[in-house]
Amino acid sequence: MSEKPLKTDEQLIADFQNGNENAFVELVDRYKDRLVNFVYRFLHDMTDAEDMVQETFLKVYKNKHAYREIAKFSTWIYTIAGNLARSELRKRKRRKTYTMSALSFDDNEFTPVDPGKDTEGIVFNSYAGEEIMKAIYALAEPFKTIIILRDIQELSYEDISTILDIPMGTVKSRVNRARLKLQETLSYLKE
Amino acid sequence: MQNTDCTFICEQFTEYQENSLSSEIRAQVDTHLASCSACREIFQKLTGVVETLHKLPSLQASTDFTSTLLSRIETLNQETVWQKIYSSSYSRVAGYAIAAGLIVAIGINILIDPISPIKPGVQSNYAGEKINPDPRTESLAEVSDSSANQPADSLTLQNSPINSQNQSMQLVSGKK
Ligand SMILES: [Zn+2]
Repeated sequence: MSEKPLKTDEQLIADFQNGNENAFVELVDRYKDRLVNFVYRFLHDMTDAEDMVQETFLKVYKNKHAYREIAKFSTWIYTIAGNLARSELRKRKRRKTYTMSALSFDDNEFTPVDPGKDTEGIVFNSYAGEEIMKAIYALAEPFKTIIILRDIQELSYEDISTILDIPMGTVKSRVNRARLKLQETLSYLKE
Repeated sequence: MQNTDCTFICEQFTEYQENSLSSEIRAQVDTHLASCSACREIFQKLTGVVETLHKLPSLQASTDFTSTLLSRIETLNQETVWQKIYSSSYSRVAGYAIAAGLIVAIGINILIDPISPIKPGVQSNYAGEKINPDPRTESLAEVSDSSANQPADSLTLQNSPINSQNQSMQLVSGKK
């Protein structure tokens, strides 16, 4: 018995555009975890992250014909999810401005650190997973986005360039600056 | 990163780690790192940060994620169906027919009972006893008017405007 070759994402979205709803379900299965993982890094809240990923899929469902084969399906869906997550962050920031946060660091708003809390249980080179998550959350938006796309989602420079609609050279230099900023933030948090 | 040289070196770190620098610049970074402890420290920390990021546990969507999504889509589809029905020309005609029917029904209702909100009895209540067309209240008013000739005990009763008004109200409502 030979296994049927797996369809590409692009074949699946084409099937869905032609009315095959099962193709949509297959895409949901392929992307739900990746996207929840992606959006969670922005929002730091699992319920909100799942909600936003649901919104992402609803957008895909409603606007299936907006997808054109010139782009990869993955970059298209990451763009949708990323835009939703970032607009949610902007909303939160506005709310936060009203409530007046006393802690600020450069252009970032800081989430106070709870020392000793390491729920993800990872300690590597003296950095805990939870600490690093807080540091990412505290980064200014362009740095946060690039770190999540490159270092957590591990997307290629080319894909990131498509998703953010910026040149490859800018992607590379921004990744470097974001990492330096993150490392700086971590040192600050540890003090 | 005190001088431009250090800044330049730090800008190369990512590509240095990824082995994508030209051999010339790579050699520059090597030489600098060998002599500058500040940049060396930054580079080591950076390496740690990146490795931690790569080892972050990946999260999973909850088990009912897909079923919740599909039921949301079902609701959405139902709404869309209703929107289509509502906006189709056929149903617009049906809508106009229902609206026209309602207008006709209201019109007929008004014709059958044209003054239901302003019944004569109510009118007389607002205007006072003297305009009240009911003969019984008229006679009561007469009694009130002639109260001056009545004995004191009945005078207080009959002369009270509240009392007589109450009586006329009772009569009018009784007539309805
Ligand atoms: Zn240096």
